[in-house]
Order: sequence, then C-alpha cells, then structure tokens
Amino acid sequence: MARAIRSNTRLDLIVLSTCVVLALVARALPNTMRDPVATTMRRSFLAPLVLLQERSEKGRQSLLAADAKQSRLDSLSLDAMKAGSLEGENERLRKIIGLGSRIRWGFVPAEALHGRGIRDETTVILSAGTRAGVSRLSPVIAPEGLVGVVDQVDPTMSHAMLWTHPDFRVSAMSPDGTAFGIAQAHLTGATGGYLIELRGVPFRATLKPGALIVSSGWGGVWPRGIPVGTVLQEIKTSEGWARTYLLRPAVNPADVYSVMILRRERLAKGLEGVWQSVAQADAAAQRIVVSGDSAARSAALAEAAARRAVIDSMARANGSPALGATDSAARVIAPRPVPVRRPPPPDTTPRDTTPRRDTVPRRDTIPLRPGMTR
Amino acid sequence: MNMGGAIRAIISFLIFVVLHYTLRPLLGWRAPMDFLILALLLAAVRVRPSSAAVIGFILGLISDSLAPDALGAGALAMTTVGFGASYLKAVFFADNLVLNAFFFFLGKWVFDIIYFIGEQRVHGVELVQQLLLWSPLSAAVTAAVGVLLLFIMRPLLEPTPA
Repeated sequence: MARAIRSNTRLDLIVLSTCVVLALVARALPNTMRDPVATTMRRSFLAPLVLLQERSEKGRQSLLAADAKQSRLDSLSLDAMKAGSLEGENERLRKIIGLGSRIRWGFVPAEALHGRGIRDETTVILSAGTRAGVSRLSPVIAPEGLVGVVDQVDPTMSHAMLWTHPDFRVSAMSPDGTAFGIAQAHLTGATGGYLIELRGVPFRATLKPGALIVSSGWGGVWPRGIPVGTVLQEIKTSEGWARTYLLRPAVNPADVYSVMILRRERLAKGLEGVWQSVAQADAAAQRIVVSGDSAARSAALAEAAARRAVIDSMARANGSPALGATDSAARVIAPRPVPVRRPPPPDTTPRDTTPRRDTVPRRDTIPLRPGMTR
Repeated sequence: MNMGGAIRAIISFLIFVVLHYTLRPLLGWRAPMDFLILALLLAAVRVRPSSAAVIGFILGLISDSLAPDALGAGALAMTTVGFGASYLKAVFFADNLVLNAFFFFLGKWVFDIIYFIGEQRVHGVELVQQLLLWSPLSAAVTAAVGVLLLFIMRPLLEPTPA
C-alpha cells in the first residue's frame, strides 16, 4: 500500500516535472519558432474559441460605441430638423434678394416681427423706421406680392397694417386692364382663414379662376403691378351692378418674415415688370409640364397600340379569334356585311327659313381701350 | 468518480472555458475574472495531481496561444496551480463556500505571480503594482464569480450518491 502511494507520488512528480520542463522550453523558444506554434494552435483546435472571443470583442465594441452612435444620431436628427427651416429661410432670402435686384432702388429691407396677440394677425412690427427712410403709407411687399402698408412710424421701427386688416383696401385689376376693383380681406368663416375679395368689378368684365390680380396704381399709395392674388371664384352679393370675386392671396402674412418697404420716391416710377418675369417663368414652367404630360400620353397610346397589334398577330397566327371588340386585324380580314339601303323617308316638315339667332355675328358694344387685348 | 459525475464535470469544465472566451472579453474589466483558473481548479480537485498538471499545462498553452509573446508562461503557471490544487484538495475542498472562495482567490493570485514573473514583460514598480494591486483584485473577482457559479451549478457539480 505504502509502495503504491510512493509510486503514484513519483509518477505525479515526473509528470509535473515534464510539464514544467515543456513549459520552460516553450518559454525559451525564439520568436521565430514561437509564433508558428501559436498560430498553428489558433488556426486548428482553438479556432472556435478564437472566433468566440472575436465576436465578444466586437459585441463589447458595439456596446461601447452605442452611446456615441446614439448621440451622433441625435445630432444628425437635430440637424435634419433644422435643415428644413434653413432651406425655407434660404428660399425666402433668395426670393428677397431676387426681388431686390429687380426693384434695384428705393426700398428698405426689414424684418417682420409677428406678435401672438389677438390683433396680431392683422398688424405687424417692422424693423425699420424713419431713419431708414420709411414713412407713413409706405407699401410693404414680399417676393410673392402685396403684404400691407405702414401706418405708424418710429425712428427705428414701424407698424404696418397687413392686408388682412378690416380697414385695408387696395385698388386692383387684372394685368391686361380689363377688370378693376377694390381688394379687401375676406374672413372665411369661424376658422379664421383669410382670403381676399375683389369688389366692384364691372359686370361686363369676367375673370376666370386662376387669373392673376395686381395692384392698379390708382390712389397714390400702391404702385401698379404688385400681385394681390389669383381668382378662385365669383361670389354672389346683393350688388347687382358689379361682380365680386374671391381671390387666393399672393402672400400669407403669417409666413412673412422678411419684407421690403418701398420709399415714396420709388412709387412714382412704378413697379411694372418686376413681377412680370416671375409670372412668365411660372407660365413657362406650366407649359413645359403640360407639354411633357401630352408627350407622355401620346407615347403611352402608341405603346398600347403596338402591344395590341402584337397580341392580335399572335392570335391570328394561332388561328384563334382576336381579342376584344376593337380588334383591327379581325376587322380587316372578316368580310363586312353589305348594308341594306333603305329609301329615306319623305321630308314632310316645312323648312325653317328664318335666320338662327346664333348665326348672327355678335358685336362687342364695349369699345376696346388702347393697350387692351381681347 | 462515476461516469455521470465525470460527464457533468467535463460539461462544467467546458462551460467555464467558453465563458472565459465570451463573457470575459465582453465585460472587458481592468481586473478581469479568470474562468480558466476556475475550470482548472474544479477539474484539479477531481483528478490526480499528475492529471491536474497535464490539464493545467494544456489550458496554459491554450491561453498562451492567444498571446504568443508569453508562450510557456501561462502553461508553467497553470501546471503549478493545477498540481498544487490537486495536491491540497483534501485540505481545502470542504463543503464551505468561504473556503472555496479563498481557494479560488489563492489559485488565481499564485497563477498571476508565476505568470507575470515568467512572462518578464512588466518590471519594477509596474510589476509590484500588478502583483499587489491588480492581481489580488482580479483574484477577488474570480473568487466571487467562482462562488457564484458554484452556487448556480451546484446540481451539476455535486457528486452523485452511490
């Protein structure tokens, strides 16, 4: 028994010594031999463990980077949110700059400071006053058109009445001068939305929906040619001698932040042609869109006809009847039934010899003014 | 140890090895727990000292292969710890959690001492700091985790009644 224990102990010590010696040998190996041994082990039976460790390291890196990624994502979201308003502001400023370059002189750029009170939807504070050349009844305009008129002036700021104000009026007309009227605010029901109504338009003058209405220049406050709005529809009023039209305003006062105040000396020169280029560009764009639509429509029709012809030819080749009632090939091949001619019934009604009313040429009793187009 | 007990011990051993290469790098602590030491100690108390030495040598080589500059240092340290644990198992491995924790702590600390001296990568104050600060901390974490795992895996590690 004691001998067996001694033998086992000796065996343990021999194995221990061997392992220790091997470990020391491994420790003493030069780098050129150490690396291949380790690499061989990593690439063979240790590969799954190495893979596990790599994945865990990556998981840890992901966990550590999660906060940074989240903060970066938050920053990006914030930037994206700001980008929309910045784009809008850029667009507005670009329009203002474009308007300024077209007006060229005689205007004061200003910031519109909106209040949040009850009457603030009809008035606005402007960041320019008498020191900048602003005077009472100076028109306030935006790139889109008419905004309002200055009614009080301080040295450094001024107070403007917007077109939504109940006391605001402007003489307006169609650009060709065929229809004149007085534009004023029109409150659309309890929701508080504002449109413009053009009152006092002569009964003989009709305006189509979508027609542009501009300031007429009469009255001495507003120069001619500033867009007021576009015609939506005619509304019925008790006035039988004139028409009243509802206009979609060119400018929504709530969206106006940068405006231009026209100085008195600029009014005498007028603003005709300033918005004309904008209107022409819009019209050209609309024409391009319309022509593009019609081209696409004709291309689609041609493609459909070609497809139908192919289907018909295939059906004909298979000996089956062609598809549909509008089969042109079948119509060509099948003989047409001979129509039975019947004699026409005798005309017993007397012929009306009086001239029809619609054949009489109409004459416009309104004399055409110089410069007007029909 | 009967066949069932051996299989359960092998499963536990493999679980510890897998934990060493998954949980440890995931946590990435400065004083990490060493599941290989725990696996070695759990195996060593169930086998003869010579077998424990061989298991330690193999585990050491496995750990060294991922740090080729220290090839052999881990094998030397684990061989020593495995042999010592198996030799002293009658003294330590009573059914006492505190004693087991001390056993784990001591095994890990001894391993670190042999490893860092054999590795010869850190010297001077840094070595002293490592051996007297970080190694005991790591050993304490290892002991705590070992006790926790012993508690969790008790059904797997308990010997089957004959």
